[in-house]
Amino acid sequence: MLLSRNIVHFDLDTFFVSVERLINPALAGKPVLIGGTSDRGVVASCSYEARKFGVHSAMPMKMARTLCRDAVIVRGDMELYSKYSHDVTDIIAEKAPMYEKASIDEHYIDVTGMDRFFGTLRWTHELRQSIMKNTGLPISFGLSVNKTVSKIATGEAKPNGELQVQRDAVKPFLAPLSIRKIPMIGDKTYRLLRSMGIVTIDTLSKIPVEMMERVMGKNGIMIWEKANGQDSTPVVPYSESKSISTETTFEQDSIDVVKMKEKLVKMVEKIAFELRDQQKLTSCVTVKIRYSNFDTHTLQKSVPYTAFDHILIPLVKELFDRLYQRRMLIRLIGVRFSGLVAGNPQLNMFEDSSEMISLYQALDKVRNKYGQKIVRRGVAYEKSEKRNSEKRLAKPK
Amino acid sequence: MKFIISSSLLLKNLQAVIGVINSNNTLPILDDFLFDLKEDILTVTTSDLETTMNVTVKPDKSEADGSIAIPAKILVETLKTLPDIPVSFSIDLGTLLVEISAGEGKYKLSGHRSDEYPRTPPLEAPTSITIPSGVLSKAITKTIFATGNDELRLVLSGIFCQLSPDDIIFVATDAHKLVRYTRKDAKAETSASFILPKKPLTLLKNILSALDTDVIVEYNRTNAFFSFSNISLICRLIDGKYPNYEAVIPKDNPNHMVIDRVALLNSIKRVSIYANQSTHQVRFKITGKELLLSAEDIDFSNEGRERLTCSYDGEDLEIGFNSKFLLEMLGNIDTAEVRMEMSGPNRAGLLLPANVENKDEDILMLVMPVMLNK
Repeated sequence: MLLSRNIVHFDLDTFFVSVERLINPALAGKPVLIGGTSDRGVVASCSYEARKFGVHSAMPMKMARTLCRDAVIVRGDMELYSKYSHDVTDIIAEKAPMYEKASIDEHYIDVTGMDRFFGTLRWTHELRQSIMKNTGLPISFGLSVNKTVSKIATGEAKPNGELQVQRDAVKPFLAPLSIRKIPMIGDKTYRLLRSMGIVTIDTLSKIPVEMMERVMGKNGIMIWEKANGQDSTPVVPYSESKSISTETTFEQDSIDVVKMKEKLVKMVEKIAFELRDQQKLTSCVTVKIRYSNFDTHTLQKSVPYTAFDHILIPLVKELFDRLYQRRMLIRLIGVRFSGLVAGNPQLNMFEDSSEMISLYQALDKVRNKYGQKIVRRGVAYEKSEKRNSEKRLAKPK
Repeated sequence: MKFIISSSLLLKNLQAVIGVINSNNTLPILDDFLFDLKEDILTVTTSDLETTMNVTVKPDKSEADGSIAIPAKILVETLKTLPDIPVSFSIDLGTLLVEISAGEGKYKLSGHRSDEYPRTPPLEAPTSITIPSGVLSKAITKTIFATGNDELRLVLSGIFCQLSPDDIIFVATDAHKLVRYTRKDAKAETSASFILPKKPLTLLKNILSALDTDVIVEYNRTNAFFSFSNISLICRLIDGKYPNYEAVIPKDNPNHMVIDRVALLNSIKRVSIYANQSTHQVRFKITGKELLLSAEDIDFSNEGRERLTCSYDGEDLEIGFNSKFLLEMLGNIDTAEVRMEMSGPNRAGLLLPANVENKDEDILMLVMPVMLNK
């Protein structure tokens, strides 16, 4: 075990908003909300201008709109965001010895030992400049002895900043901060700890660990360790996703089976394309429905390895028919492909003509160039999206 | 019902037919051999309702005809442990008690009523042909590996036999790979075609490989009957329409590659060790006189590459295959060199022996590629 590690945590500042601003510079300086536009949607991301009004992510859109009337609301395009996210990852992958992609906008890099050659702070600073120059996205980082402290440091460095917390400065750095800043502490834990009279990390770190364990079990020990600036979790170089899924909550609960099936086709098209794009195959398909009373049911079926729409769409429809048994309104439907393996779909001599395969390849090529929404099955088309795709066609990346 | 027979002779014949018995039967009597003694000839029958096998053997001594079903497992296990000595069976058809005496040993077990044993009706209006055992056994061996296992496409789980006055064609495919094996030295008077299930063919293959005799094949619309030396087998045909396999065999393939079979086989074997262990995919890149084989497993950062020289006539080509299919196919070709014919990365590739060794035999293998998107 290395005694002293150096871990960098990179976090893109208001990532979704930054991407939207790249596409549409008019959004700069304005309060921007990204998320579902309907009343039932939530805020996925918001600009600092919007945060001034008390808006934060995961807040219901309805509430955010009341708080900040002037906000520009953008529907959000995950596909576009992940493209930019990839660009950032590519730059990091090129330069960093070992990195972990923790989420769409977060990366950890283990720079232990870099001091001897480059100076960790200088090296990281240069990497940050390079990312900002090449992608045009603002990014912040924290550099410290482990993942937790680095992440907290990033939080303090934001927006658009960098912060190094040296080994002997960890305790003084953490001490005055609110316990909210510890990554593990969510709303519930925060309230529990507050009810115990704990406000700062300093107080938390001085509580006997046994007491934390009694109150919160194993998690209590982990939180206590984090409050003391201890975190031995390693930077994991590559984490393979074992499943890929998508789900939709309807604006209004529905019993319109035809429309739901259209939605399913659209979802399958989307994630089957992702499978092919990542050169993966699925061996298990799951369909999920949630009734209006939140009763959630799933049904799955295994299939020979595939990534083809024409195999997956009928299967998903069949599963949906078997699953939707109660004459009750449906709130949510979802599709998941699991049991993923790396590989390309095997062609079937009786069912797959070479013309059809060429069509798949051509369509995927178009999707890769202009975005996956540019071409899809007719049933999967919805009016509201037509305008979007036209806009995107005008500005190919 | 009584008879005396050499233990090894009986065991050998029982083992020829025991393969029909499934490991777990819904009908308990199907765990039994049916012994039928008639006019000094003992006939032993096994059945799984789809396939029924008979073997006849002449005991050294016999008296009182009769028939009884005897549990197969106990009997075979007993015979296996005995040296080659005469074994006497004495069966009371009233109490169904079977007494076996061998040397100093005496064993008793209870049999079951023979009339409970399912009977197969004789073949109605059959057509008959004769095929040498070597030909039939080779035809099964060369094709059976390509049959499918999908219960939803039962027709693909068998071997398709096309008889005609010119030749006999055996075809097997699982929709990913296909073998067509043609024999010009076996013929039928009239054209006919049927699908034989995998299980009886596996049994036949194992027995026939050790024999040199003629096999009489009789068939009608529902069943096929094979008889040779002292063994006969009747099986139900797979009901259904075999897909039009001829249509998927590409006719014009502009790209031809001739390559050493064993070298290719060994290279694929090595390279595929580095492929993803669920999908076994390897990539062929053919340029000029060179075949570049590669495979990778991204999850483990494994990567294998090999370069092979070949004689190639065609455009540069990059095509992906499941290495398992290629290995099975290459292992079932006998010639020193093979020819691969391809037309494009999304079209079937053909694998053929590079030269003709037996003019009465023709073998064609087809493999579907995987869709490469980059």
